Amino acid sequence: MSIMEYNGGSVIAMVGKDCVAIASDLRLGNQALGISSNFQKIFPVTDRIYLGLPGLATDVTTLRELFRYRVNMYTIKEERDIEPETFAHLVSSTLYERRFGPFFIEPVMAGMSKTPSGGYKPFIAATDLIGCLNFAKDFVVAGTASSKLYGVAEGLWEPDLEPEDLFETISQTMLNAVDRDAYSGWGVIVHVMTKDKVITRTLKGRMD
Amino acid sequence: MPDMVSLDRAGPQQRQFNPYSDNGGTILAIAGADFSVIAGDTRQSEGYNIQTRYAPKVFKLTDKAVLAVNGFAADGNMFVKRVRQRLEWYRHAHAKDMPLRAIARLIQTMLYGRRFFPYYVYNILGGIEEDGSGAVYSFDPVGSYERESCRAAGAAQSLVQPFLDNQIYFKNQTAAPGTTHPKHLPLQEVLSLVIDSFTSATERHIEASVGDGLEMYVVLARGSQLQGLENVPNVQEMTTTSDGERIFIIRRELKKD
Amino acid sequence: METSFAITGKGYVILAADTTSARSIVKMKSDEDKIKTLSPHLLMAYSGEPGDTIQFAEYIERNIRLYQIRNNYPLRPPAAASWIRRSLADSLRSRKPYAVNLLLGGYDTTTYTPHLYWVDYLGTMTELPFGAHGYGSYFALSLLDRYHDPEATLEEGLATLRRCIDEVSKRLVVSPGKYKVKVVDKDGIREVEL
Repeated sequence: MSIMEYNGGSVIAMVGKDCVAIASDLRLGNQALGISSNFQKIFPVTDRIYLGLPGLATDVTTLRELFRYRVNMYTIKEERDIEPETFAHLVSSTLYERRFGPFFIEPVMAGMSKTPSGGYKPFIAATDLIGCLNFAKDFVVAGTASSKLYGVAEGLWEPDLEPEDLFETISQTMLNAVDRDAYSGWGVIVHVMTKDKVITRTLKGRMD
Repeated sequence: MPDMVSLDRAGPQQRQFNPYSDNGGTILAIAGADFSVIAGDTRQSEGYNIQTRYAPKVFKLTDKAVLAVNGFAADGNMFVKRVRQRLEWYRHAHAKDMPLRAIARLIQTMLYGRRFFPYYVYNILGGIEEDGSGAVYSFDPVGSYERESCRAAGAAQSLVQPFLDNQIYFKNQTAAPGTTHPKHLPLQEVLSLVIDSFTSATERHIEASVGDGLEMYVVLARGSQLQGLENVPNVQEMTTTSDGERIFIIRRELKKD
Repeated sequence: METSFAITGKGYVILAADTTSARSIVKMKSDEDKIKTLSPHLLMAYSGEPGDTIQFAEYIERNIRLYQIRNNYPLRPPAAASWIRRSLADSLRSRKPYAVNLLLGGYDTTTYTPHLYWVDYLGTMTELPFGAHGYGSYFALSLLDRYHDPEATLEEGLATLRRCIDEVSKRLVVSPGKYKVKVVDKDGIREVEL
């Protein structure tokens, strides 16, 4: 019995042309027994950052609360929203604080970061459970279906997808990967972020 | 007496020999309406050590049957050798090649015959049935088998199979109103999907167990057209008879890191 | 073995917990109340390691009461659930964690909505239309997948609960005999005889 697979669940984030997308399944289980089909693992951090927390469910809630606290403190002190790059390092250092008794979570982030010229550029990142950062340029995955997500994403993803095409790509990747994973599934939620809005959709998929 | 072995102090000792090993690699087969594609990478590894960059995992059995074998290479090679021997005996007894579905059943009995000391291999058999349709049979190490239209096995099965579910079976895709998804894909599309699957697996597989070379066997039903096969680079015909099914092999390079 | 269920319906939550208190193979007691009233509109069914359950439940009970005394208002169900979950999550990484599983049923008097939270000893929490703990959950959950109706009246809800209890009695080898059933709705908390 692996702690990382105790509750199940998976998250993926992808980069597109001036947009990013992040998706997760909605299952909460105790090993093979399904408990909930509406367990959110992705949380908005600011208007332009979404954070996915697959792994041990108790730590999903604990970390969500911890990041909300730390981001609020940052916002009050700095009088501005935290940037995705900065937030990624906050995630990393928060996890590394527990280097020898870790939170059993592998976070995935997606956001739009400000450029010096005043525009926005897509940003994704992921870390392992002790905060080792991975700034990928294409896509990042985590959770019990990670190997399946890698396989499908590597086959479907291409550079510079428009928001609607990115939505289709990430949705198909998620749906087909979780259908081959016993610990993930029971519904999928997708967020597609552009510079001025976020579109959230809950997908109709297999519920077995 | 210092140089004498004291027997009373030595506790019971256990020795173990592990007769199995995992040699990595991935195999894949897809059936078309009148053809079958059976593919495998050519790397043979043990852990992070690459033993060779060219060790075929896909073998021509007859003019209409190709067997891909993945798992423990020594068992795989021995198994193919024995299947071929049984097919040769069949040829001598009946003056014809064994039909594909019979080969599939033969493989089942051969695998199950070793139920309590199994061949540590996953088999995928591809070829043409007696009715001229493309077929794929997949097996577990002890002989459970099933006819399917596509299957991946081996180190990158978890990466490739969900991709195939999506692209071959059109899982999670809705056909445009008034249309249906095709039951079988044309050869050119199947070959592109096989190449994509292997390049993806080579790119992302965590251990260094997929890569180096790719061998794709194409079996064409009796009397069917080449379907663009003549224009594929590096294609080589391996057919031995003149009026039956035709077999081709396509070789590609994969990343070597 | 210990079993507890909870069902939400139209404006109410029903909680049911078995009443046996066991040590090893011996039934020590058969009328134990394992559902605590935390506030006028909040119930908590608890199960798990014998000593831990009562110790933890009373700690929660007293602190929820203290909040109410200090602030003149009780915590609403989502807030109470969050605090209780955090207590378990913190305990998990302490020297001696509490091994207690909970079902929290409450009625939010400000939004007029029923809430049910499923919490386990790790601090895993999720809001559900119905939930269960213990071996009975393996029977009850699939049954509730089929028969639960979020718009059901209290009578229908109790009938559904009855089916769960009957199924567990029929199929579980170590099934508990009696259950205590409590309901929370706009009028507060009351015990129900099935």
